[in-house]
Amino acid sequence: MMKPWTRILVWLCLAGVLLFLYAPLFPPLLLAIQDPATGQLTLQNFGTIHSDPTLVGALMNSIILAAIVGVAAPLLALAAAQAVRSFGIPRLIITVILLPLFIPGVSMGVSTSLFFNLTGIDPSLLTMAVVQTLWALPFAFLIILTVMSGFDTLYLEAAYTCGANRAQAFREIELPQIAPGISGAATFSVILSFNETIRTAVVQGGNNTIQTFIWSRYQQVGLTPNMYALMSLIIAVTLLLILVLVALGRKQQPAT
Amino acid sequence: MSAAVKRRDLGAAVLLGVPVLLCALAIVVPLVLTLIISFWERQMIGMRPGFSLASYALFFDGARFSVLQRSFWVATSSTLLMLASAYLVAYLITFKLPPSRTRIFLFLLSVPFLVNYVIRTFSWAYLLGRTGPLNQFLQWAGLTSHPIDWLLFSDFAVYLGLVAAYMPFMVYPIWLSLSAIDRRLIEASWMLGEPPLGTFLKVVLPLSLPGVFAAAIFGFVGAFGEVAVSQILGGVGYQLMGNAITSSLDVLNYPMAAAMSTVVVGCMLLLLLLWLRFFDLRLFLGKMLGR
Repeated sequence: MMKPWTRILVWLCLAGVLLFLYAPLFPPLLLAIQDPATGQLTLQNFGTIHSDPTLVGALMNSIILAAIVGVAAPLLALAAAQAVRSFGIPRLIITVILLPLFIPGVSMGVSTSLFFNLTGIDPSLLTMAVVQTLWALPFAFLIILTVMSGFDTLYLEAAYTCGANRAQAFREIELPQIAPGISGAATFSVILSFNETIRTAVVQGGNNTIQTFIWSRYQQVGLTPNMYALMSLIIAVTLLLILVLVALGRKQQPAT
Repeated sequence: MSAAVKRRDLGAAVLLGVPVLLCALAIVVPLVLTLIISFWERQMIGMRPGFSLASYALFFDGARFSVLQRSFWVATSSTLLMLASAYLVAYLITFKLPPSRTRIFLFLLSVPFLVNYVIRTFSWAYLLGRTGPLNQFLQWAGLTSHPIDWLLFSDFAVYLGLVAAYMPFMVYPIWLSLSAIDRRLIEASWMLGEPPLGTFLKVVLPLSLPGVFAAAIFGFVGAFGEVAVSQILGGVGYQLMGNAITSSLDVLNYPMAAAMSTVVVGCMLLLLLLWLRFFDLRLFLGKMLGR
């Protein structure tokens, strides 16, 4: 159907795009395992990570935040996606929930930090969790909306006919069908929370996540091999989480 | 949709309504508050309620206005650049790859997008540096005899960083639109004697506009409010709106930060409203909304 040289051109073009996008994933590891003075390979920079108490605190914060966002965002997204189907105002709900996608990160951060400022809520893990949840929400929402679109509401009608109430019908009929989508949304939210800097940095106060830690180190003293070691760990964890996402996706569609 | 699915159930309505309302408030209230605060007066520490256009006057009058102009120019031109490349990618994977490969490629595209773009931008600073791999390669290949300086801390670097950060995400809406096009329309155009380019310009491109416009908004949002790419790759003094906003926050000038943020958000909402006005959300999200 396609001429051979067109096919080669298409593949070259797409391979070039992938090379361009994947190239930045490797330098942190390269810079972390190289001794800047001698050029020799070393793992020392990874070893020094756990001896920095600020950094360990930041890592703990990142994990706590990822856990909160990983639970809150998919649950809220599920409620919103169900509301799209049951309330008569799908356009309004979709527009509002997707709004954070259309607002630059700084603006979203500034707005929420001003809101917390005026309401007297001090910067804490909670404010960071709110900002990150609002950021993850549109993505979780789109994922759950997609899975729900593959669920035939006729099943719900059948359940109602058999005498189930709304909650029973949801729990016993729909939930098992869309569960992989919800766990997918949860994983996606964890990844987004774990990789967020700019919005979090605006409302962080005295707290740090590993991302804001790297960002403030960069602004204050510049990047050191330690920081590159940290970055390569972040990349590795993110890739691992993506593998989880893939596994969940397989469970959902055994055919592919 | 059947009546049974929509049937009234107070418990369910509350259970769904309350979190959705909370989310909506959490998203909208801070934005409205920012608009209000942008008219407040600045004080030595903090701010005072009032109605003053001082922040806007200072914004549109001073050095910050040139930052706005530059941001606008950089955002517009980089969005066009990103649209062209995202459209090419989306077109190729929709029409030139078998469907199973399309899905794999879309997945591969999203993997680097999930890694914090700040980290990826740090990587680019290394890759583009004077002694970095790219310069070394160019010298090794004999294309240049000395390191090229404009690879890093330049407009080039900022554009490259923006494309790397936001282009992958723009492929999705365009792909959504392209894959929803009825192939029979394209075949009909061929059969009626329109050459490939004509078919593309008169059939494929117009039908993919909702996705293109959505992608354009995503790219513009990212580039217009950018903080990290401009700071890391632009070098000392390279400011976009995001940098101007954070530096106002750093000196605790909240009304100014609010005013600048409001202008940025206002631009975005305007674009979003235009999009909603001209294109049907349901047409675009049809796949996700399903039946």
